[in-house]
Amino acid sequence: MTKSVIQPLESYRLAQYAVPIPCYICDTDNTFDAEFCTHCLAPMALAHQASFQKTRPQMIAVVGAADAGKTVYLGMLIDMLSRQLDRMQLLARGAFSITLQQTTLSALARCEFPPKTPNEPDRWNWVHCQVRRPHLRQVMELIMPDMAGEALLEEVDHPHTFRVIRSFLEKCTGALILIDTVKLQEGMPEQDFFTMKLLTTLSELAKDPKHGWSKRPVALILSKADQCDDCREDPGGYAKAHAVGVWQYCQERFHCHKFFAAGVAGACAWRESLSEGRVQVPLRIEPHGIVEPFEWLLDKLGAKWEKG
Amino acid sequence: MGREKHHVIRWVTSLFCMVIFGLAWLVRNLWLATGGAVGLCYVLWRIAHASRGSPEEATAANARVPRTAPRRSPPATVSLPQRPAISRKPVDPGDTDALVGRMLAQERFALLLRPKIAVNLSGAHLRRAQEALEQNMALVPDGEVVLGRIDEALQDGKLNEEEIAAAAGRLIQVERFFLDRFPVTNQQFYEFVADGGYEQMALWDESIWPAVLDLIDSTGMPGPRYWRNGCFRPEEKDHPVVGVSWYEASAYARWVGKRMPTDAEWVKAGSWPVPLSATTRLQRRYPWGDTMDRKRANLWNPGRPRSMPVNHYAEGVSVGGVYQLIGNVWEWTSGNFRPGDHFAGKLELPTPMKTIRGGAFDTYFDNQATCQFQSGENPLGRRHNIGFRCAVGVCDLVLTRQPSGVDERAEGARGGADPGADDPGAAGAAAAEPVPVAEEVRA
Repeated sequence: MTKSVIQPLESYRLAQYAVPIPCYICDTDNTFDAEFCTHCLAPMALAHQASFQKTRPQMIAVVGAADAGKTVYLGMLIDMLSRQLDRMQLLARGAFSITLQQTTLSALARCEFPPKTPNEPDRWNWVHCQVRRPHLRQVMELIMPDMAGEALLEEVDHPHTFRVIRSFLEKCTGALILIDTVKLQEGMPEQDFFTMKLLTTLSELAKDPKHGWSKRPVALILSKADQCDDCREDPGGYAKAHAVGVWQYCQERFHCHKFFAAGVAGACAWRESLSEGRVQVPLRIEPHGIVEPFEWLLDKLGAKWEKG
Repeated sequence: MGREKHHVIRWVTSLFCMVIFGLAWLVRNLWLATGGAVGLCYVLWRIAHASRGSPEEATAANARVPRTAPRRSPPATVSLPQRPAISRKPVDPGDTDALVGRMLAQERFALLLRPKIAVNLSGAHLRRAQEALEQNMALVPDGEVVLGRIDEALQDGKLNEEEIAAAAGRLIQVERFFLDRFPVTNQQFYEFVADGGYEQMALWDESIWPAVLDLIDSTGMPGPRYWRNGCFRPEEKDHPVVGVSWYEASAYARWVGKRMPTDAEWVKAGSWPVPLSATTRLQRRYPWGDTMDRKRANLWNPGRPRSMPVNHYAEGVSVGGVYQLIGNVWEWTSGNFRPGDHFAGKLELPTPMKTIRGGAFDTYFDNQATCQFQSGENPLGRRHNIGFRCAVGVCDLVLTRQPSGVDERAEGARGGADPGADDPGAAGAAAAEPVPVAEEVRA
C-alpha cells in the first residue's frame, strides 16, 4: 500500500545540486553536499575552502615507506609551527586540519607513537593550512595529507589502485620524502628501493622539462636520526654511504633536492602489545630537524612563486 | 632637512598656486587657471598626506614595531662560586699547602674531606675544604621519597599502613647527602681532562677500559664529544658539559672525590618531600612548585634550542638551593633505567640503560621535565643534551662544623617566586638537620 505525501519543492536545493563542485584533488564533479569525492575519496571540504580563497592552495606531498614516520613528522611540524611566531606561523584551516596534530601530540605526550594511518583514503588526515613568513611578508595556502605508507606502496607497484594518490602527486608543487634511518643503519635495503620507486613514479608523473618533477623541490628527510649520530651530523654524506641508489637517482633526475636529518624521540624501546604486537615506544620527546626541510622547501617554492 | 621645513615649503607653494589661480581668474586665462588649480590640489593633497604620515615614515615605524611575538626577558642569573686561578706548574708532593691549594682550585674539596685524606690535613685546610663544599654543594636532609608517579591516595593520606608497605618498592629511604648546586661545567670538566683523567685507569670502571681509548672529541683528542683539540669553545665555559658518557661522568665524580647521585637522591633534592603525617607526604612536581613555569627552566622554545650557562634560570632553584635540576641538560644518575609508571606495560630495551632525569633544552613536553619523570640512555651514549652533577654522602666526609642547610643565594633567587611554591617548613627542616661532626664520623 502506498501513501502519498506532499513534499515541499525546495528549489534552492535543486539549484545547488545542479551546480557541480569539482574535487580539489582529481577535478571530478561532485554534488554540493558530498563529504568525500566520489571518484578519489578526498575530502570535499578542501574544494569548498579553496573556493573562498584568493590564492589557490599549493599541495605538498609528505611521502615515504610504511613506518618511516610520516604521521609523527607532519603532526610535530604543524605543532611546532603553530607555536613558532618569529620564523614561520602556521594557522590550520578547518577543524579537520587539527585532528592530526591532536592525535600525534596526545600520543607523544604519553610516550607513545600515534596509531598507524589506515589505508582507506577517506580516513586520512588532510591538513589545510595557511603559512605566514613574517620576514618575507609571504602568505601561502598549503594542503598536506598524511597518506598511509602501505597505500603509497600499493599505488607505486600497481598504478591507479588509489586514484587520490596519483592525482595528488601530479598536482604537488614539492615533496618531503621520509627515509627510515634506523632501517638504513641495519643494512636493510627496502628503504632504498622503495624511495627509488617513489622517485621514479614522481618523475614519470610529470615529465615536463620546465614544470615537471625534475624542477620541483624535493626534501629527502632521513627520519629517526636521533638514533644515529653520523646521520644527524652529515645527512648528505650518510645518504651517499647508506642509500646509494636514492642518492644517485636524485643527482641524476632531481635538480632541486637536499638531504636532511630529523628526529623526534631521544631514545626508543619496544613493548609487547596484545592488540598491536611489538610496538616501538619513545622514551622522551626532543624534536630536531623538523622545521628545516619544510623551511627549505618553502624557500624554493617562494622563489618560484615570486618568479611566476 | 627637517619635517617643519617641508611643511613651510608646502604651504608657501600652495599660497603661490592660489595667487596664480586668482590672477588667471581675473585675466580670464583658462589654461593658467587650470594649472594653478591642479598645482593647488596637488600641494593640498601632499599636506593632507603628510599629516597622516608618509609611506616612508610608515615603513620606518613598522620596522621599529616588532612583527613577531615579544621576546622573553632574559632569565635571571645567579653568581657562580669564586674559583681561584689554577697554576699548571707541577706541584712539589711534599708541599701540602700547594697541593691543597691546587686541589681546591680544581674543586676537589670533597676528596680532601674524605676520612683517609682528612687525617693528614691541618684544621685550616679542612676548614677551607668545608667552606668550598658549602659554597658548591647543597645539603639534602635524609627522609623518604616516592619514586615514580605519586598516588593521589598516598598524598591524601587515604592509604593505611599495609597499603603503604605494599607500595614500599617505590618508597625509598635516603640518607643525608650533598648535591652539586650546579651541573658540572665545561671548565670544571676541562680540569679533569687536563689532569690526565682519561689516562688514570683507576678512575674508570674496569669493564669500560677497552672503550676509554674511543672516548674522544671531534678532533680525536681525549675529551667530551663536541670539544675540539681537547678543549671547549671559549663562550661555553660555564655551560654544562655535554657529550659525555655515563662512564666519563662517573670517572670525573671519582676524580673530585664524589659519586653520581642515585635516582632517589636526585628526586629528593628536586621534589623536596615533606612528610605531613605517617601516611601523608607532599612532593613537588617541579623544584619551585607544582606548576610549570618556562621562565624558570630552559626547555624547548620556538627559537633555536640550545644549552645555557649553569647560573641562568636562577628562579628555578630548589628549596635546598640546587639550580637547573629541571631543563638545560638531562642529568645522568647512578641508577639503571627501569621503566616505571610513565611507560605502560613491560618495556624491552635495545641495550641496558642508565637513568637520566630533569629534561633538557630540547625537551618538548612539560610532563617529561618533572622531578618524577625518568628516561633512559645507553651508558656509552655521548649525547648533545646529557650532562651530570655529582653527589656525596654526608657520612662519607669529615666535617669540622655543622654546615648550613639552605643557601642564601637560593633564598634570594626565590624571593620573587610565588609564595605557595615554597615550603618554609621544609626549608626549616633542612636547616635543622643534625650533621655529624668530625668526631662522630670517625667514631
